[in-house]
Amino acid sequence: MCNHNGDSCFTYKDSGLTKIELNCVINGDKVCELVDPTMTLLNFLHNQMKLFGVKEGCGEGECGACTIMMNGKAVNSCMILAVEAEGADIVTVEGLAKDGELSTLQKEFVEFDALQCGFCTPGMLMSSRALLDQNPNPTVEEVKEAIAGNFCRCTGYFPIVDAILSAAKKEKEESK
Amino acid sequence: MLSKFDYQRPKSLQEALTFLGEYPETKLLAGGTDLMVVLRRNMQIVDHVLDIKEIPETKRFEYKPGEGLFIGASVTVNQISESEPVKERYMALKQAADSLASYQLRNRATLVGNICNASPGADLASPLLVFDAVVHIATPQGNKEVPIQSFFTGVKRTVLNPGEIVIGVQLADSETEDHSVFLKQARIKGHDLGIAGITLRMTPSHKVSVAMSAVAPTPIRLVDLEKQISEKSLDDTLPEWLESEIKNHIKPISDIRSSADYRLHISGVLAKKGMKKLLEMGGK
Repeated sequence: MCNHNGDSCFTYKDSGLTKIELNCVINGDKVCELVDPTMTLLNFLHNQMKLFGVKEGCGEGECGACTIMMNGKAVNSCMILAVEAEGADIVTVEGLAKDGELSTLQKEFVEFDALQCGFCTPGMLMSSRALLDQNPNPTVEEVKEAIAGNFCRCTGYFPIVDAILSAAKKEKEESK
Repeated sequence: MLSKFDYQRPKSLQEALTFLGEYPETKLLAGGTDLMVVLRRNMQIVDHVLDIKEIPETKRFEYKPGEGLFIGASVTVNQISESEPVKERYMALKQAADSLASYQLRNRATLVGNICNASPGADLASPLLVFDAVVHIATPQGNKEVPIQSFFTGVKRTVLNPGEIVIGVQLADSETEDHSVFLKQARIKGHDLGIAGITLRMTPSHKVSVAMSAVAPTPIRLVDLEKQISEKSLDDTLPEWLESEIKNHIKPISDIRSSADYRLHISGVLAKKGMKKLLEMGGK
């Protein structure tokens, strides 16, 4: 599908180089893993840690499907080497639900039909989670800016924006 | 990915320079938002990657009255956008920072990486050009300083030699009455590369400077145009005059994002809009 010099961009291949120890926190759990220095954080989370909510869409920082939170900030995990995550606090979509119950933000996505095929949804959730953590009362424009790096080819975005705004309101009520 | 590279994360500048001395073809990594695409597409085969983010000098991000603003090579675009001194004194830099790619990319991408990548369309270059930025470079022979005007040498080319590291960029001091504006035209609102970008600045003594991106092989400061502006009065006719005159100072090309004709046209429009804004902000 996407070949450069006879090499498929979408297939991760182990370089065979000496692995490097990586210590970080993923969804609240301390992790110590040996990683290939050429492995992206996306491939580490998806292939090695089996966190399948971290999606590869474009692999080049355009589509946002691989968005995670790293030290509280939304980032494209395809643009980061796994070894760069040393000491980092990482949250993926798998870390949003607590004790088997979806978070308010996730429930609002369901409520507003903010997903159809669902491929962009983990990235959308992580970008909006990072936004609401930093700015609990975002305007429509601020929501749009926060998810401008997350492509959705199904919904037309309106239900996603509505879901995020509604989640902001509900989270505020819950925290009272 | 065909590259099989080892990963270095030196904790000091000396350690980094020593490694680069031994392996001058090492690729430097800060935000990674350009390098990771190069690696993924096998555009270069890389043997060594050196992460500069643990080098203390690259983390410096500081405004000092009289000296100006220093932005270290590890400082991200969002850090710049959220900085109070930048909002107060270097508005065009904030506007350019906010226009670059997407929010999550700006959490990783760095200003120094943007200029070292040396794309003709580098969004953050035109604000640096009008604020007389100086690039601080560490070399095995010691540190050197290069004005941003002589930093770019061609498409994706700079004065940097193998084995050298950009530590950061120093912007000249700017007063709060110093007005500047950055405007960019892209195909869509949101995440896209610019068709053309412009920064206009007016100092409290009404000196106007103009720089553009994506209209020449490198980002450029339009010094001849600035001289012409200095000979004109800053009145309501200036924006319209600038709209047509600026087209004599740039040589855009046609590419996937725009025809050369449209780039010329939109450069005039951006220049007019920007000049109007500067005059409204108190330039008269």
